[in-house]
Parts: sequence; structure tokens; C-alpha cells
Amino acid sequence: MSQLTMHEPAGGGDPIVDLSKAPLPTTKTLRTRRNVPFQFLRFVAFDLRIMRMVIKGHH
Amino acid sequence: MAEVLILGAGVSGHTAALHLRRLLGREHSVTVVSPNSQWNWIPSNIWVGVGEMAKKDVVFPLAPVYARKNIGFHQAKAVAIRPKGDANDSRGAVDVEYTSPERTGATERLRYDYLINATGPKLRFEATEGMGPDGHTESVCTADHAVEANEKLRKVIEVLKTGTPQTLVVGMGHGTCTCEGAAFEYVFNVDHELREAGVRDLARVVYLTNEAALGDFGVDGMVFDQQGFQTTSELWTGSLFRERGVEAILGAHVNRVDERTIHYETLDGSVHTLEFDFAMLIPPFGGVPLKAYDADGNDITGELFAPSGFMKVDADYTAKPYEEWRAEDWPTTYAAPGYDNIWAVGIAFAPPHQISKPQKSPNGTVIAPSPPRTGMPSGVMGKTVAMTIADRIAHGPSAAPHTASMARMGAACVASAGTGLTKGSAAAMTMLPVVPDYQRFTTGRDERETRGELGLHGHWVKLMLHYLFLYKAKAYLGWQLIPE
Repeated sequence: MSQLTMHEPAGGGDPIVDLSKAPLPTTKTLRTRRNVPFQFLRFVAFDLRIMRMVIKGHH
Repeated sequence: MAEVLILGAGVSGHTAALHLRRLLGREHSVTVVSPNSQWNWIPSNIWVGVGEMAKKDVVFPLAPVYARKNIGFHQAKAVAIRPKGDANDSRGAVDVEYTSPERTGATERLRYDYLINATGPKLRFEATEGMGPDGHTESVCTADHAVEANEKLRKVIEVLKTGTPQTLVVGMGHGTCTCEGAAFEYVFNVDHELREAGVRDLARVVYLTNEAALGDFGVDGMVFDQQGFQTTSELWTGSLFRERGVEAILGAHVNRVDERTIHYETLDGSVHTLEFDFAMLIPPFGGVPLKAYDADGNDITGELFAPSGFMKVDADYTAKPYEEWRAEDWPTTYAAPGYDNIWAVGIAFAPPHQISKPQKSPNGTVIAPSPPRTGMPSGVMGKTVAMTIADRIAHGPSAAPHTASMARMGAACVASAGTGLTKGSAAAMTMLPVVPDYQRFTTGRDERETRGELGLHGHWVKLMLHYLFLYKAKAYLGWQLIPE
């Protein structure tokens, strides 16, 4: 079941997705996404996850 | 001595060629047939399409690499497969037509003992009237298309700088397209470029897609574990659309494109028009036009290929409803039925069905994303078949084939949302398996391995993959240590 559905704007126009139910990131989240030391840790974690997946799921 | 012939030098074909050369002794030959003289790291075409990389950064000539590795290379396109040979020779053969400047149009029949079809997609711009670089929309499917897209984008940015509002549409040009991830990436890179140019407030940016829900990506969406709670890729991507102010139109099939107008139908059967100043629409993919003949010259194309032009392999092609689709429907060895020396990998193999639930509008228009089978899975398939062939050559025809089902393997999808070592970002996703298996996992996938994160680190990952895979494709020292 789709959580973000299309709606036609009042007064016509293209049908577009109503994004009002999509969560907006907080200021803290936006800052975290740009924080270099934190992002470096996420970079390492993501690379390890890819490697684990390669070992687990490729063959 | 065995002769291995590989059609196509994309991710899967090139990977297969390099591994075969590594695994086979010098007495065996490995030959690649590709109409392109250059290898292209397609995921980075997105950055060429917004001017953040040049064409030379994403391509390199194949011939010197193959010469160094002792791999034969014909710059030619395959036009016909003769799996049982012809009247002169019962060995299998492929008819090719040369595309290199010095031999354009010349034809030749190449013999093989083992054949890998890795021909990739035919970009079917013609499926939608007015679409494509010869029509009214841009593409980033090739490096040249991406260069052209960037030139058009720059012109639109110049117009925006004069204070004139512009509408930019990015998405899928047909109801059956695949590669939604590429359009997703491009729309957010365009958004990023507009912000960098200081003109975002004057631009309307629209994502027009055949996906029934945001975050579907042609893989039926994903469920992520985020801080102890389940969330969907729909809400997760929806958050990015809302944050960036990108409008989205879902379940759309583009019927026609005029000079400034996209005509499309949505899943509810209603028809609409969308005015645009710049549009990048991905075309649907088909198999490259290849015929097949038996030894007497009778046409057996329908035996080897599905109507879509993709090659049939060891999948279960029985037509059945979405509710009865199973992980076991997906191929494991990629061997062509009835032939023990032909395989199809990457985009060239015919998938048994879609991954996302296929839908039709009340008008009967099919609006159903096709399954993606590029990137990581393509490389894995290429390597898997290479290992199967190497074992067959070493141990005889009874050697067990290697397997790599998309319903078992994982994939990483790093969707760039803007460039810059400190300003860039990307939606970095991992999923295991690619094809959801609801018999094994309640959410269809392993929740520990299926994740989505947004941030600067995603950009670093995408940049790292760019350099790693170019290094690997150039077969430099230790290339085989870089996993597919």
C-alpha cells in the first residue's frame, strides 16, 4: 500500500505526489549528513557492509 | 584448445573476458566482439550529464587493454548466432559486421566452442514518438548523450539566470522502462547544479516515473531498519523529494513528446500534458537485434530469444500471477536451454518476469518497471559464467556449473544526489537479495543487509567506486582483488 499518493492540485495542473506525509529531516540530521568525521565513519561502515554482502550473497 | 567468444564489452562481458583470461591457459583463446571501441563506466555518466566530469573521465579504449591481456578483440556487432554451425562446420558460429572505421560494413563468421552473450541493451528511443537525442529529449545512457545533456542543461541555466522560469523534467520515457535509479540520480544532480548556480528558486523540477510508488526502483521497493524501526524506501526517498522541492509524478507512461510538451498517461487512465524546457527521459531497453539460425539456415530466433529480444536462459518463464512469483523463477547458471555452451549475462538475459508488481491502466496500457540487472549483479553473472566455462574446459562437460541467482545475491545502489568532496551527497542503499524472497524473509529481504543512508559519505562511496571500477576494467595490477 502506497503511503505517498498522487493528487491533482486544486485549480488544475499536473497530478503530483502529495509529499506532506514524507518526514522532513531535522536541522541536526542535515548537519550530521555533512559532518566530515561522522560521515567518514559511515563511509567505513558502508564499505564493510558491501564487503560482507559480497562474501555472503554473491556465490 | 578451446575458443571462447564473448559478445559485448560492458560490465558483464568485460568482466567475463578478464576472468576467463586469468583462469585459462594460453593455449585457449578468449575473444570479445563489441561494436564500441571504448569501455564506459555508465554510472558516472550522470556526472558527465551535469558537467561535473568530462567524457574522457568515464571512458577508455578497449583495444590496448585487450592487447596487453592477450584477449582477441573485434570491433563489430554480432548479427546472427548459429549454435549448430553451418553446412561447412558443425561448430557454433556468430556472424559479425564490423563497425571499426577501417573495416566498416565488412562481415565475418567467427567460430566458438563457448559463447557468452553479454550484448547489453538496445536503447529503444523509438518506442516513444519524439523521445531521445534525435527527438526532443536528452539521455545519459551513453557518454556522448550525457555530454549533449549537459550542453542543453547549461543553456537552460543561462536562461534561468536572466530571470525566466524554466521547467526541467527528468524520468522515464515509457511505461516499461528500467534503470529508475539513474533518473533518480540525475534529477537530484540537476537540482544540485541549479542550487550551485543560484537559480533553483526559478526552476520547476519534476521527476516523471513509471514506478507506482516513490523508492520502488523497479525492485518492488525496500524495507529498511532505521534506528530500530522499519521504514520504507518510499518514505525515505519521499523525504528527499520534499526536502529538495522536487515534484514527482508516479505511474506514468509517456505516449509522445513534442518540442516542448510531454504527453503521458497515468495508472488511473487519465491523460495529461507536461510543458518542459529541458527533459532527460530514459528509454525502454530491448535486446540487441540478433537472429539465430540452425545448421540448415532455418530461423530459430524464437527458440533462443524472448520476444523482447533478450536471450532465454535457465529461468522459469511460465506465465503466472504476481502472487505466485518465486525466487526460484530466477536463473542461476544463465545457460541457454538446450545448449551446453551458450550463456547470456547482464541485461542480455531474459528475466522471467518483473520484480515490481506490474500494473495496467484502465486503457490497457502496461505501466510496469522492468527488472534492473546492471552494475553489481551484471559483473557477478559475468564472473560466474567465466568460472563455469573455465571448469568445463579444465574438467570436462560434467563439471558442475557455478551459480549466481539475483534472488540470492545482493547489490549496492549508490544514487548520487550532488557532487563535491564536502558538499556532495548520495542515497547509498544495499539490498540482499536483489529479487525479494518472501518465503525466506518477511520483508522480502535480509533486514540486516538492506539499508539506506543519505549523506556525504554516499558521494565518497560513489566516487571510490568510479575509480576502483575504472582501475579494475583497465586490468591493472591486482584488478581481480576488487570484487564485482
